[in-house]
Amino acid sequence: MTRDDVEKKVKEITARVLKVDINKIETKHRFAQDLGAESIQSIELVAAFEDGFEIEMDEDEALTVTAVGPAVDYIFKVVQAQHG
Amino acid sequence: MKLVIFEDSSYSNFFPLTYPRPVFELRCGASSLAAKIERQVGQRADAYLCREYLAETLAPRSGATKINDLGFIKPGEEVLFVNGRILAKSDWKFPVEPGCFGCEGKIGWWRTRADVTKIKTYADLLAAAGTERKKACGAKCFEYMWEVMLESVHVIADDFKAAGKSGVQSPLRPDVAVYGDKTLLAISEGVEIHPFVCLDTRNGPITIEAGTEIHPFTRIEGPCYVGPKCTILGAKIREGCSFGPVCRVGGEVEESIIHGYSNKYHDGFLGHAYVCEWVNLGALTTNSDLKNDYGSVEVHVNGGLVSTGSTKVGSMIGDHVKTSIGTLLNTGSVVGTFALLMAIGKPLPKFIPPFAWYLEGVICKGFGKKSLFETAKTAMGRRKKEWTDADLRLYETIHKLTDEERMVYIRKGRKQMAGN
Repeated sequence: MTRDDVEKKVKEITARVLKVDINKIETKHRFAQDLGAESIQSIELVAAFEDGFEIEMDEDEALTVTAVGPAVDYIFKVVQAQHG
Repeated sequence: MKLVIFEDSSYSNFFPLTYPRPVFELRCGASSLAAKIERQVGQRADAYLCREYLAETLAPRSGATKINDLGFIKPGEEVLFVNGRILAKSDWKFPVEPGCFGCEGKIGWWRTRADVTKIKTYADLLAAAGTERKKACGAKCFEYMWEVMLESVHVIADDFKAAGKSGVQSPLRPDVAVYGDKTLLAISEGVEIHPFVCLDTRNGPITIEAGTEIHPFTRIEGPCYVGPKCTILGAKIREGCSFGPVCRVGGEVEESIIHGYSNKYHDGFLGHAYVCEWVNLGALTTNSDLKNDYGSVEVHVNGGLVSTGSTKVGSMIGDHVKTSIGTLLNTGSVVGTFALLMAIGKPLPKFIPPFAWYLEGVICKGFGKKSLFETAKTAMGRRKKEWTDADLRLYETIHKLTDEERMVYIRKGRKQMAGN
């Protein structure tokens, strides 16, 4: 899976969980301030990323990621580590 | 003679209550199982044997008692090993006869002069004691966690008798009603009982320890033990309750044990429950303790359901659990250490793994253990207690020990959350 594949999927999942238009999601967007994620939705997002990418993320690490771009970087790193 | 209190391999039958403490520190009646053994033997334990990961946090509570180290015992000296699951009531005397006495297939107690200095674990103890067992020890030996809670109502009365300190040391206002025999009250100095409190001793004694405050319109039925510095807030405390130090209790509580520093401040029913330390039950949190068909309650133990044989079993709640307002706990629920529960308007699942979050009807990782530990630090600070590095290591270990089981539930929850 390439970084572009990860970015595409992160945006799809973010759009579905936060119920926002996928075309309006940019990598600079922050989940809470720009995309309107409430605290429980951030937990849903982590669960949805784990389910979607079939990975296990360290929740303490994952929840320090607050924007789309860093989420792509972090998930790409975890995917590489867990799926090669 | 040296006294050694040990926990055997049955400690997991008491999870989550025994994740952060040895079995012999479970509360039953007015004190722990270890305190009763010490009382009946007539001396403090010289050593404890328990899981190694508990040693660091147990040490500050143990004073001079050694932990997992019997190297101080002199060769040929008499040693009495006692299983920490034994309930040593006030009429029980440990026989002076040497030998190893069985208890439900485990060692009940062993009185010996053998060289025991190398013993560090229950496995070592088993090997040293050999396979020969004398007759069953005859003492009550708890097998499962709910038995401790069910027996406590009788043990409170027994502990009152053994303490022999009946009397009212704090002034009682004329508008405080003692309904029943006043000699069944043991009220320490520094207890403040507000107007319109009813102390009902018709069915058993009531002990209220120093520094406790009982607010108006509280009714306490004996047998009951209220530990030091508690606050009872206009509550209906029905028979058989035992509260550790610095608890805040409101609403309706029946035949329940609450360890120290836990809060059930508001309305809501807690019955036949066992609540560990640093728990906060949100307003209107209620547990069921009786099934609608009056059948035997089943409880989650070691990954399976065990029938308790009792129609009355409430919730078993681990240390540092937090519940939201309006949480409804099913009959015989087990809530793991550090679990965080959010109400969903109907009874929650009967088992919530340690460190799991129950949000919007699914079990998930939530904000993770770091956030839970930060909350614990804050909660303990409010009671002038420190969250230490040893606490951190203890709970990190428990988190690791329970990871596999928790992840099974979290993966299932993740699927539910993703709508798969």
